[in-house]
Amino acid sequence: MGKDDGFGRVQELSYELKVGEVMTTTVITVAPDNRVGDLRELFRANKMSGTPVVAGDRLVGIISIEDFIKCLADGEMDCPVRMRMTEKVEVLYADEPVVHAIHKFDRRGFGRFPVLDRKTGHLVGILSKGDIIKGLLKKLEIDYHEEEIHHYRASHIFEDILADKTAIRLKYDVRGKDFENAGASASALKKTLSRLGFHPQVIRRVAIATYEAEMNIVVFTPKGQMLADIHPDHIEVKAVDKGPGIPDIERALVPGFSTAPEWVRELGFGAGMGLSNIQKSSDKMVLKSKVGKGTDLRMTFFLYR
Amino acid sequence: MKLEEVRRILDGEVVSGSKSLDIEVAMACGADLMSDVLAFIKQDALLITGLTNPQVVRTAEMVDVKAICFVRGKRPGQETITMAQKKSIPLLLTHLPMFEACGRLYKNGLPGCSEAE
Amino acid sequence: MKLEEIVHELKMDVRSAGRNLAREVRGGYASDLLSDVMANAEKDYLWVTLQIHQNIVAVAVLKELAGVIIVNGREPEPETLAKAEKEGVPILVTQLPTFEIVGRLHQLGFRGTA
Ligand SMILES: Nc1ncnc2c1ncn2[C@@H]1O[C@H](COP(=O)(O)OP(=O)(O)OP(=O)(O)O)[C@@H](O)[C@H]1O
Ligand SMILES: [Mg+2]
Repeated sequence: MGKDDGFGRVQELSYELKVGEVMTTTVITVAPDNRVGDLRELFRANKMSGTPVVAGDRLVGIISIEDFIKCLADGEMDCPVRMRMTEKVEVLYADEPVVHAIHKFDRRGFGRFPVLDRKTGHLVGILSKGDIIKGLLKKLEIDYHEEEIHHYRASHIFEDILADKTAIRLKYDVRGKDFENAGASASALKKTLSRLGFHPQVIRRVAIATYEAEMNIVVFTPKGQMLADIHPDHIEVKAVDKGPGIPDIERALVPGFSTAPEWVRELGFGAGMGLSNIQKSSDKMVLKSKVGKGTDLRMTFFLYR
Repeated sequence: MKLEEVRRILDGEVVSGSKSLDIEVAMACGADLMSDVLAFIKQDALLITGLTNPQVVRTAEMVDVKAICFVRGKRPGQETITMAQKKSIPLLLTHLPMFEACGRLYKNGLPGCSEAE
Repeated sequence: MKLEEIVHELKMDVRSAGRNLAREVRGGYASDLLSDVMANAEKDYLWVTLQIHQNIVAVAVLKELAGVIIVNGREPEPETLAKAEKEGVPILVTQLPTFEIVGRLHQLGFRGTA
């Protein structure tokens, strides 16, 4: 996959970015002499399933919730952590590229790895899959919501990165009659696509169609939503609203047909060209609408036509 | 054509982006309907328009317009200027009407979007 | 210059009121906003626009414009043509965009400022 091809940028970044750049640096640790019994509150309060054991700056082991449970079963809550921890710890180094970490997560199935400084051997951070996803998105300057991070997690971004394919979903709310912010979704999507490294010709087609669809929501409905699913070989954008609907879709598609009121025309819209622009810019357009219920417009753009 | 030359030919002024006067526009498009701009304009064009609302800048951003020139002396509001600055799209203003602005630029060799390759 | 000479020079198609092409044209106005044309266009000017809505005829009549040129190969709506025919407003179409047809009108000597 070349640089200009969709997700090439994500792959590239997984080589460029270092573990140290994306890890969490505030690490909660325990000392080898702590009581195992004290872990209960620590795990509960921090929603952790395990924690590194550190003596001074040195990582000496890791203790997990399973270790804790075994200890509990044996009735040995006063036992020092030292006796129950795993000493042979799988670690990552801060200067390793993120892609190494991805492979390691893939092979080991662990939730997180302690991160060491290669020179000093000191513990400098901890890395989870979520940290990697956040790091990649931040590097791409993609605005994400926690909710979307979960989506990425669920969509197996790592397997995807390993297999050279990824899907990202972006979601934008659009407010009707809000001319000031109209087009903000299309603008954000355009930015994201260029950061992901899509070809300018593809970006242009997506931007035009998305903007037209967004303007229709702004002009004709109280509110709606734009959803963009970005795949390595195609992009799908959905514009849905619960507005008045379109009584005669065939007529609405005729270039020049518009029901836009005069004030909209004075702002430079209402030429009746939007839907035909969308048709021209996309590879596939499906428009469904029910009067009184709303409109559902789907646009698909293939990267290679 | 350099933006500075556009400004000179149109006897215009720079509203924002005065540092960008040496950028080149490859062609021009005169329109007030944004869907038509989206349908016909090519990239690196100068957009000449009588509208000054922020959606003009938004539209320009979508199709990678190089610069915008407002005609008939209609000065854009702060919202429009702020957005243009954010998108790094320079804004010019001329007192000439659209017809005269287009005519003069065309005469000085700036092509339209159907002529430029 | 008369409208019919312009039509010939710039190879435009006449869509309505072919009987009124002997009219003398004094200048040009380019705009897609009806309110702008209402406020600023002058009598005997040729109006260049992308608009195909029938309201353009009413504006042309009110402002006593010499005719309307529709650009980018767009075709006026049937109601627009019917109205223009009735009111005697010549509607011409060209494949060229506004910038280019205006450029050529300018070369023929038409100006946009009084
Ligand atoms: N989401 C929607 N909800 C309700 N009606 C819609 C919606 N989208 C489009 N329409 C109807 O379809 C018509 C044609 O839409 P289209 O986008 O092609 O033109 P326009 O929005 O009127 O003008 P332009 O897009 O050129 O500014 C609209 O005038 C409107 O009547
Ligand atoms: Mg529209």
